[in-house]
Amino acid sequence: MRSTARTLLLAFVVIATGWTTDAAAQRVAPPVPAGQPDLSSSNWIAGGGPTVFNDWVFTDAGKKRFEAYDFKKDDPAYGCIGASWTRIYLNPNVVIQVTQGTDFVRLQYEWMDIDRRIPLIDPTVANPKRANVPGHPALGYSAAWYDGETLVIDTVDVEPGYITTMVERAGMPQSRRMHTVERLRRQGDVLTIQTTHVDAANYRTPVETVIRYRATDWELMHYGCTPEEAAVVSPR
Amino acid sequence: MNHKSLTVTLLALVLLASAAQPTIAHHSVPVNFDQSREITIEGVLTDIKWVNPHAHFRVNVTEAGGSVIEWLVEMGAANTMKRAGFPMERFVVGDRVTIIGNPGRRDRTILLNETVLKDGTRMTPTMRPRTPDGAGSAN
Repeated sequence: MRSTARTLLLAFVVIATGWTTDAAAQRVAPPVPAGQPDLSSSNWIAGGGPTVFNDWVFTDAGKKRFEAYDFKKDDPAYGCIGASWTRIYLNPNVVIQVTQGTDFVRLQYEWMDIDRRIPLIDPTVANPKRANVPGHPALGYSAAWYDGETLVIDTVDVEPGYITTMVERAGMPQSRRMHTVERLRRQGDVLTIQTTHVDAANYRTPVETVIRYRATDWELMHYGCTPEEAAVVSPR
Repeated sequence: MNHKSLTVTLLALVLLASAAQPTIAHHSVPVNFDQSREITIEGVLTDIKWVNPHAHFRVNVTEAGGSVIEWLVEMGAANTMKRAGFPMERFVVGDRVTIIGNPGRRDRTILLNETVLKDGTRMTPTMRPRTPDGAGSAN
């Protein structure tokens, strides 16, 4: 009886400790399923190398939308909205955590607490199963597969918005017709992420960006963005 | 210069564009702030928000004529500052602070590059000393 009580007490302590463990505690990544490249044994953060943008050509309508962008009110981040996958990866200093399963891949982005569980599919099959991101409808519906050492994520049905809100590219538009492909490949402690957007409503050529992350010991932290605070950009 | 009066001092530090490069990757900082210039303001903290995506202060600055105007001081993500070990607990509403940073493209806004507390302690958001190439400034 005493032994049972001790066991219960121990179990309680273990559970309670687990509950109260800081979010920054080291996680133990589950094993990578056979046949998949290891993307999940470390977390990732920006800073793995230079970011490279290609040249692109706007359609006339796309150029008008780009020129109409007003950073003072149009940045979706003021509403805690991650508008495009390129925009999300371009955000520095936030952690990405990958979890790999036999039939899914989960990517958790600290920025805006984006938690994305994507089904792995056969890319040759028509109308594959896709998943959206709870709480982030703007980010569309994604399916994924592995192409050798590369994780490929295919996304459609995004909401109209902006591919990026940064620097001279701030306000590059995206339409409901946009198709996004992400390719994630690990080489040692560097994760190279190539995003390609094809949006015939706004561009005559694909928009490609290569972003490099590095392995980090930092753990995910809760972001907790609220539109009330994110929209504070001026004094009263 | 009066210690309590407005010290919106345009330092006319026209940094080379390259000096801002370490922060160029940051979300929309160059869109929202003029990183080629630095200004200094001094005032009283009236509001402190350690939030994401941008922590911010509100600071009441007393102008030369005696009128008080509010400035919004923007910083990086609170999570990033926590990771850098930024001592948030040292900032208290009512304290006088000096803020050195890039002027915003909106009126009375500034991106914090360095702050000076009332006891003279200087610190950057990254908790690294500032260097001429901009390292240690806004994250």
